[in-house]
Amino acid sequence: MTFRDRLVATIQAARSVLEDPGVLIVGSEVPNLLEPGAASTLVVSQDLDIGIPVDCHAAVKRRLPELIVHFRPSPDEPSVWTPRSSGLLEVNFVGMDPKQDPADAYVLEDDQFPLLVFGALSLVVPGVEIDIAGTRIRVPRPAGLLLEKLVTDRTGEKGDRDLLVALGLLMAAGPADLDELDGAYRRLRPELRHTVRSNLTLLSLIEARTGMPDPRPRRADVAALLRRLETGGEGLR
Amino acid sequence: MSPVFERRIREHRARMLVRSLDYRQRRHARGVWFRLRRVLAEAGAAFVIPEDEARTLIAEGHRPEPVGQELEPPKLIVMASSARIAQIASAQPVPVRLGGELLAATCLALTPFETTG
Repeated sequence: MTFRDRLVATIQAARSVLEDPGVLIVGSEVPNLLEPGAASTLVVSQDLDIGIPVDCHAAVKRRLPELIVHFRPSPDEPSVWTPRSSGLLEVNFVGMDPKQDPADAYVLEDDQFPLLVFGALSLVVPGVEIDIAGTRIRVPRPAGLLLEKLVTDRTGEKGDRDLLVALGLLMAAGPADLDELDGAYRRLRPELRHTVRSNLTLLSLIEARTGMPDPRPRRADVAALLRRLETGGEGLR
Repeated sequence: MSPVFERRIREHRARMLVRSLDYRQRRHARGVWFRLRRVLAEAGAAFVIPEDEARTLIAEGHRPEPVGQELEPPKLIVMASSARIAQIASAQPVPVRLGGELLAATCLALTPFETTG
């Protein structure tokens, strides 16, 4: 069974939640799903991040019993549901609150379905709906997800891989996506803009890794994006 | 609140505090690594060159990158065209990343990305 098979099977198993309006797949699997035929060639962790807008929490909670057939809540980590079969991936629920500060985090308390709500996900905007083997899922617009990746602290091996996921998003971004990224960047406060540019410099200098986009041929594009984001003077840095 | 969530929120806020500190001190010594990365991000290639060649480049009007003097030991980092660096027979290419070869160099020549079209 390939990783793609497991990813698709996980999406089908979580269908009751994923087809709820407002729910998004976020995280590193998005570039995998955006590849032609959801080819899923990137080497990422074996989980599926599902973004739950806080306004949808009650509706999603009502659908959770349908997941019990395939997953069980982890006793160790309240946001993680572990698969009952080796043919499925872990599911990780994260809360999204569009009104939240991008640097903040809070817990949406609930006895059965608590959620960690990370502010960086407030930058994520719903994008296209795609069909994965008969299940309709919604993924974020590239600009918001790219900015979310770049505004989050990235360290160590996972940090490098997350930045290479951001590179994959950047490679797939068209001119309109870059315009949208530029506009959203300029609405960030200076400290967060600095984090974005700092992560882009890290991305420019990290080594290639098997199964991930090679950053070396894209370094000129990263430099061009840095210069674009810095256009407008010191106040935008 | 679940102890796991409580710990993760605490860790997140700690990271945000460090990030704020990094930002506040970005123009001081703590910000040197960002400034070095920012210079290297503009380089299509990097070469280790002898000091006399670096001094010659500066004498020709190539500006040394200030961040080189913020490191200890200091480095001469000079941006020049690929054609000019090709004239330095002893120039040794090194990967453009924060690896041992680049960090050990006393004098570095950087070349900009080649533009097409």
